[in-house]
Amino acid sequence: MSGAENPVPQEPADALAAVAALRRLADRIEDAAVEQAMRAGWSWPQVAEALGVTRQAVHKKHAKRLIAAGVTLRRR
Amino acid sequence: MTAIDEYINTIIGQGAHEAHTDGSATIEAHHLLLAIAAGRETATHQALTSAGLDHQAIRDALDREFEHSLNAAGVPLTTFDLPKPSSAATPPSQLGASAKLALERGFASVSRKKDLRPAHLLLGILQAQIGTVPRTLTLAGVDQADLTARVQRTLTGEDG
Repeated sequence: MSGAENPVPQEPADALAAVAALRRLADRIEDAAVEQAMRAGWSWPQVAEALGVTRQAVHKKHAKRLIAAGVTLRRR
Repeated sequence: MTAIDEYINTIIGQGAHEAHTDGSATIEAHHLLLAIAAGRETATHQALTSAGLDHQAIRDALDREFEHSLNAAGVPLTTFDLPKPSSAATPPSQLGASAKLALERGFASVSRKKDLRPAHLLLGILQAQIGTVPRTLTLAGVDQADLTARVQRTLTGEDG
C-alpha cells in the first residue's frame, strides 16, 4: 500500500479522474433526489424545471426505475 | 457458440450485474474486472489472486478510488446524505467506453479469433494506463505491469 495517499502524481490524471467521479456522484445524487421528490408528490414538470432539463429527459431517465420501485407517479 | 464466446457473454452478463449493483447505466471496464474476479476461470483467477485481488478486494479498492478522486476536487463522499435510490428495473445492456476499449484491446492481442482465451480479456482490461482500473490497482497496492506480465505468462504457458 505504498504511496496510497498520492498514488498518481500527474495533476491532469487526478483532475480528470475527479471529473469522472463527480459525474458519477451527480448521477447518484440525481437518482436519489428525483426519487425523493417523486415520492413526496412532485410532478415530472416540477422535477424537470428544478434540474434544468426537459420533462421528456427526466421521464426517460427515471420513470422505468421509479415504476419498478413502486413509486406512485403524478401524471402532471 | 464457441467456449470463448460463452465466456465473453458470461463476463459481460456478470459485468452488467456489477454495473446494476453500482447504479451505473453502462457496463464499464471495472465491472468486467469484477466479473472476471467473481468467475471461476482458472488462469485469470490465479493471476488476480496472486496479486491479492479477489472480488471483495477490487470492490473495496474501487470505493477508495471513487472517494479519493472526489477528494481531489475537495468533495467528501458524505456531502449529500440522501436515502439510497432504488435500483434500475433491469441491469444495463450498454457497454461503456472503457469496457469497449478493454474488449478491443483484448481481441487485438490475437491475430485469429480461435486463439482468444479468457486471459486475453483480462489482459485487455489491464492494458489501460489511464482511468478507473489503473487508479484502483494503484490504490490497492498492485503493480499493474507485474500483474500484466503474469497474465501474459499464463497465455504463453510459462507460468504454472
